[in-house]
Amino acid sequence: MELSEFVQEGLQYLADSGYFNDKAFAVMIEVAFRSLLLSSSDDTVLDNNELKHIEQTVVKHCHSAVTTCILECVKQNADRSTICTCLEDIRFDPERIDTFCSLYQKHKKDLENVLSSIGRGLPHINDASWRLEYQIKNSHLHKVNQPSYLITLSTENSGSRSAEEVNFSCNMEQLQVRALRLSWKEASPATNVLHDNKITFIYFF
Amino acid sequence: MEEVDRILIHSLRQTGTDVPEDVDSVKQFTSELIVEAVVRCLRVIDPALGNGLSPSLPPGMSARFRLGMSLAQACQDLGYKGEIGYQTFLYSNEPEIRSLLMFLVEKLPRESAEASSQPAGKSALLLKSIAAQIKAQLFLPWAPPSCRLPLLCQMQSPGLSNGFHTQPLSLPHRSRSSGKTLKEVKDYYRDFLLPVTAQPSQNSSVPASLLEQHALDLSAAQEWENEWNSQGLLSRLSPEDYRARKRARLQKRIEEQLRAAAQSCSDVQNASRSGPDLVDLLPSFGGGTVGDQLLTKGTRFTHTEKFTFTQDPEKAVQQMAAAVNSLPTSHQSEEDIRAQQQEELASMQQQLQQLSLHVDEVGGDIKKLTVAISKVSEELKQQEQSNTEKVATIRIKRQTVDLLPDADNNLAKLQALVDASSRRVASLSSQWEKHRAPLVEEQQRLKELCSSQELESSRKLSEIKGLHEKIRQSAEDAKKKEGLYKQLVTEFENLPKDVSRSAYTVRILEIVGNIKKQKEEITKILSDTKELQKEINNLTGKLDRTFAVTDELVFKDAKKDESVRKSYKYLAALHENCTQLIQTIEDTGTIMREIRDLEEQIETENGKKTLSNLEKILEDYKAIRQENSALAAKIREA
Repeated sequence: MELSEFVQEGLQYLADSGYFNDKAFAVMIEVAFRSLLLSSSDDTVLDNNELKHIEQTVVKHCHSAVTTCILECVKQNADRSTICTCLEDIRFDPERIDTFCSLYQKHKKDLENVLSSIGRGLPHINDASWRLEYQIKNSHLHKVNQPSYLITLSTENSGSRSAEEVNFSCNMEQLQVRALRLSWKEASPATNVLHDNKITFIYFF
Repeated sequence: MEEVDRILIHSLRQTGTDVPEDVDSVKQFTSELIVEAVVRCLRVIDPALGNGLSPSLPPGMSARFRLGMSLAQACQDLGYKGEIGYQTFLYSNEPEIRSLLMFLVEKLPRESAEASSQPAGKSALLLKSIAAQIKAQLFLPWAPPSCRLPLLCQMQSPGLSNGFHTQPLSLPHRSRSSGKTLKEVKDYYRDFLLPVTAQPSQNSSVPASLLEQHALDLSAAQEWENEWNSQGLLSRLSPEDYRARKRARLQKRIEEQLRAAAQSCSDVQNASRSGPDLVDLLPSFGGGTVGDQLLTKGTRFTHTEKFTFTQDPEKAVQQMAAAVNSLPTSHQSEEDIRAQQQEELASMQQQLQQLSLHVDEVGGDIKKLTVAISKVSEELKQQEQSNTEKVATIRIKRQTVDLLPDADNNLAKLQALVDASSRRVASLSSQWEKHRAPLVEEQQRLKELCSSQELESSRKLSEIKGLHEKIRQSAEDAKKKEGLYKQLVTEFENLPKDVSRSAYTVRILEIVGNIKKQKEEITKILSDTKELQKEINNLTGKLDRTFAVTDELVFKDAKKDESVRKSYKYLAALHENCTQLIQTIEDTGTIMREIRDLEEQIETENGKKTLSNLEKILEDYKAIRQENSALAAKIREA
């Protein structure tokens, strides 16, 4: 795990007992974790009695360095040994490393949730219902005699919105192509149902 | 043999054969088991071959015969070189079965080999872990949204809600490039700068901004490393000097580009001045207000023109005032007034024309006069120059004239003076030479020193580069090996522990040691045997020769003496008996070897259980004959 010079300098301040004694160190680490997990940004996150007597630029430098370090660790899914090696290179004491690692373990799941919520995704298909229609004739042709499917897929997208529905109609070849694309090995039951029905239809016709 | 059998049975169990627990060795395999094992192995090795064969032995004899033939055919298709036929499966014997099963087990595809033979690059590892996670997630059963527990919620509801938005962050202690931060900036950092997590406008872009900032720092550092290692070291400057030089170079380029752009821009705007300075150019991008300032610089001529004209309008005004005053007051008809005005206008225009002509003439005169002035000043300069020259020559001549009266003395003095000065010149030049030579040597020496130092420094640079390369290389190797080690450790922990490989490896090493010892013993025995053979040959040769000599000797004496004849007869008999003995011993040895061979053959034949197989064959033969007759009867009936 590589850390930039700025982050390493900040962490070196943190490792130095002259700047941060043990209590201030614990407070700093906790403040860093809390500021990453808050749902609303807080200006006063660094206003703490323990941190007031240390020079403020150093405090802010360390805060940004620690938050960046935490995010890098979560991003690379670093295990305890990697973090320990990394912090030992910056000359942390073993107890400080333990404090950091235990807090990291405690908050790791939440941080992973925060990081995994970044990004955009397509809606998930939850359910499908189909209807088969058979065209005998239409206004353009006297005799058509072709089956086609009307398919409704109900989708789900990021929690809050209710299930939306996607309606479309397609003939047999298009359905084959789409069902093949949907058929994975352990797909959800909805698409399995779709797959089975498609097969029975094809055999039927 | 037991380990071989155990390995075989284990591999057969992995292919799906249901080997009963108490079956320990291949000797105990029944025909059904053999058939099942072979068919399952075939199915794993080549599904096309194996899917057509059934793993269980059918009850009918002819069906069994057909299955045996097809199995034999399949095994031969795979490349089994031994003798194989239906009898191998139906009437089996141990060695054939063992070799066949070993051949099939070796042909089994190794699933784990391909996975571990790839040295895992970082991206391959990442992809593998992603695949494992997705597999695990797909394994969970899907639940409708209303029934989802929080754990499932995380994996199955679409959780992506925010895009990757970043905002530039301002961090304290950042501006290192300018050297010293100003006091006001420091105060700002101390008192007013928000903590990093509060700076972005949306809380959801905090992690994204932090990660981007970090990635920017890392990549900038890496770029600088690469550039410094490739170009910076070659330029032999310190890092700050190199950076300063690069900054100056880039600024110059920016200026040139802007100038070129401004030129093309101002050409369009029709301004014809050479761009003096960057600061002056920038307003020219503004556009419209330029044109007004162009005419502020006038020439001297236009100024004088303005001055002369200001005079004349004054005169004209005075004239007009006079003309107005001379006008008769009221009671004049309008026409008269108009006619008067017309007249005045005409006279004014005439005056104007005259004045402009006059002005032109005067201008021409001025030009001529300035030309004349410049000519005259030139001549004046030239005259002064020749003057000074003449003054100098006059001085010299006057001096010589002064010296003329006392001509001889003065001549001698002058001569002495000239000699003295030439001597002085000579001495000075020699002194100069004396000074010059060591200085020139010094210069040469220093030049050589300089060039050798340059050579040294370039050599050291290349060494440093080589060392950098080596450092980078070994750091990469160490990282790779550590990653590989971790991965192998995890793989090793994940491996199934049912077959202990260490026991096998120990056993194999033991066997190898034994074989080595046996080989040594065999070589020793061989050498002993050769020695013995040589001795025997020697002794036989000696015997023959001795006998021949004795024979001759005794025979010679045997003609005369009776006792010698008897001893000769005894000698001959002794020789013959001994030869017979030797012959018998040799025969005994040969016969014992044959006995050993035959005993081995008996053992192998016993293992083949030929008798029981023969009985089975007879029974099956009877069964086939019965089936044939039954089928023939059915055909006849139908």
